[in-house]
Amino acid sequence: MDGVGSNLKVVESSRRIRYCDGLLRVVGLVLTLVAAILTGVDKETKTVPISITKTLPTLHVPVTAKWHYMSAFVYFLISNAIAFSYSAASLVASMAVRTSKDKTGIVLVVLDMTMMGLLLSANGAAIAVGVLGQYGNSHVQWKRVCNLLGGFCHQMTAAIILSLVGSLIFFWLVALAILNLHKKSR
Amino acid sequence: MASTDKPTTVSTPASEAAPPAAAKYSALDVGLRVLLFAASVSAAVVMGTAKQTEMVPVPGFPPTIRVPFTAKFNHSPAFIYFIAALSLTGLYSIITTLASISVSRKTKTILLALALLDVVFVGIVASATGAAGGVAYIGLRGNNHVRWNKICNVYDKFCRHIGSAVALSLFAAVLLVFLSMISTFTLYKKIR
Repeated sequence: MDGVGSNLKVVESSRRIRYCDGLLRVVGLVLTLVAAILTGVDKETKTVPISITKTLPTLHVPVTAKWHYMSAFVYFLISNAIAFSYSAASLVASMAVRTSKDKTGIVLVVLDMTMMGLLLSANGAAIAVGVLGQYGNSHVQWKRVCNLLGGFCHQMTAAIILSLVGSLIFFWLVALAILNLHKKSR
Repeated sequence: MASTDKPTTVSTPASEAAPPAAAKYSALDVGLRVLLFAASVSAAVVMGTAKQTEMVPVPGFPPTIRVPFTAKFNHSPAFIYFIAALSLTGLYSIITTLASISVSRKTKTILLALALLDVVFVGIVASATGAAGGVAYIGLRGNNHVRWNKICNVYDKFCRHIGSAVALSLFAAVLLVFLSMISTFTLYKKIR
């Protein structure tokens, strides 16, 4: 009687973990997709008055900001796209995992971890360049650009935050799998 | 064939097969952690010693007037984060090397803590590498869309330091991925 009860409980908890796993993967999929789309459609054009000398009249020059002008943002978009396609593939693969002894599960943990590293490095690069855009760097005379292109910067910030949450989702996936292994181990 | 194989592996006593495998994993684990310590500390030191003073023409003045300008790692928040993260990783690798050596028969809790912390440090080192690499790339190539001029043609030694530090931390990140793979496999082997 007791054995049957504990067995039922194990089945119940493993079903709950698989449900949680699938849900996290779907959230990660949506977050990385939205982050990639937000980065891809981010474009702003402004006319900026430039006065070269006081005698010449001020020139109005159109300035455009696009994601592919900055290599860090290109890396960010590509990483998010890879993470999106990986989470779609892993969602299918995780359906096939029946027990925690399954080899597919352990491969998924390793791949999840790699994907987390990829997303976090892309976030690090995008944030570092975003901070440069926001504050500039007076030591090497890199002027800040977010006072001119506010809309572009805000949309990029939103994309970075979404992608950061996405990488935390991947971390939770790995942590959940490790905790599950720990619970089942001797 | 497989069905005849399985009972034989089950029937062999676990004490015969398990210790060599565990010892092999443990030796590899300690070796990788020592390597991680070397990589992360040298990355932090190489980044910390990146400093170069050059005579640079001042904008707005004739090019014959040159003023000494210094490039140092603490001029960029990304590089400060890099040093903090890599130093923390060095400290972590010392602690976990000692833990791996001293605790010969590892308990479940230590294995769990190692596995989780390894994953956390994968994230920390990856983000530090990304941040420093992103800024270093702009320094190397510049960006004419926002008129950020490249600086590596002036500060060549400084840029070599930054590049080596980023390469070392990339190596540290790969080591950490392998380490957490080992930690996860150790847990996986203990499954009933």
